[in-house]
Amino acid sequence: MIHAIELTLLTLIAVACWIGCIGMLRMHTPTQALHYLALPAGIASALLPFAVFCATGWSMATAKAVLIALFLSATNSVVAHATARAFRVRRHGHWKPEPNDRIEFLGGSSMQ
Amino acid sequence: MSPWLIAAYAVGACLVPCAFMCLRGSPEHRLAGLEMTSTIVAILLALMTVGLNRLVFMDLPLTVAVLTLGSGLVFARFLEKHL
Repeated sequence: MIHAIELTLLTLIAVACWIGCIGMLRMHTPTQALHYLALPAGIASALLPFAVFCATGWSMATAKAVLIALFLSATNSVVAHATARAFRVRRHGHWKPEPNDRIEFLGGSSMQ
Repeated sequence: MSPWLIAAYAVGACLVPCAFMCLRGSPEHRLAGLEMTSTIVAILLALMTVGLNRLVFMDLPLTVAVLTLGSGLVFARFLEKHL
């Protein structure tokens, strides 16, 4: 039973990483691609400590896997926000929205 | 073969689309690919640590996970101001 759970968790980790990579590759704009960072950093890293626990029990490796999951989940949002902000500053020269800025929507339309 | 090593190979294969993303396109696309690569590498090292039964090396993916924040912020700042 534990082995089956471990295999399931490992499969889900690999699938989450693959979906994140393929999704990132398929997106047209880099800001859209940034959203797919959440799959490996959020889902795969959250499943990792459970898989390590199934393999080794409660050990130092499990504790470190929990720390890895916490670090990746907590810092992913910070890095993604900082990167998206850098994209906007690089493109528009400023960060704060201004009245003449074009606001992009997912449907491809825009509003001034 | 251990299922952990099979999972490590599967996750390691994710580095191919990451490399494809890092090596083409605009600098923004490359930075997004680089950040995905560092996250994938942290998970890959954790899988390899358990798969190769070297649990003391779990410090290595932990270090990579911590450094992901710093490297992402540094590259984002560099891209914003200087590149």
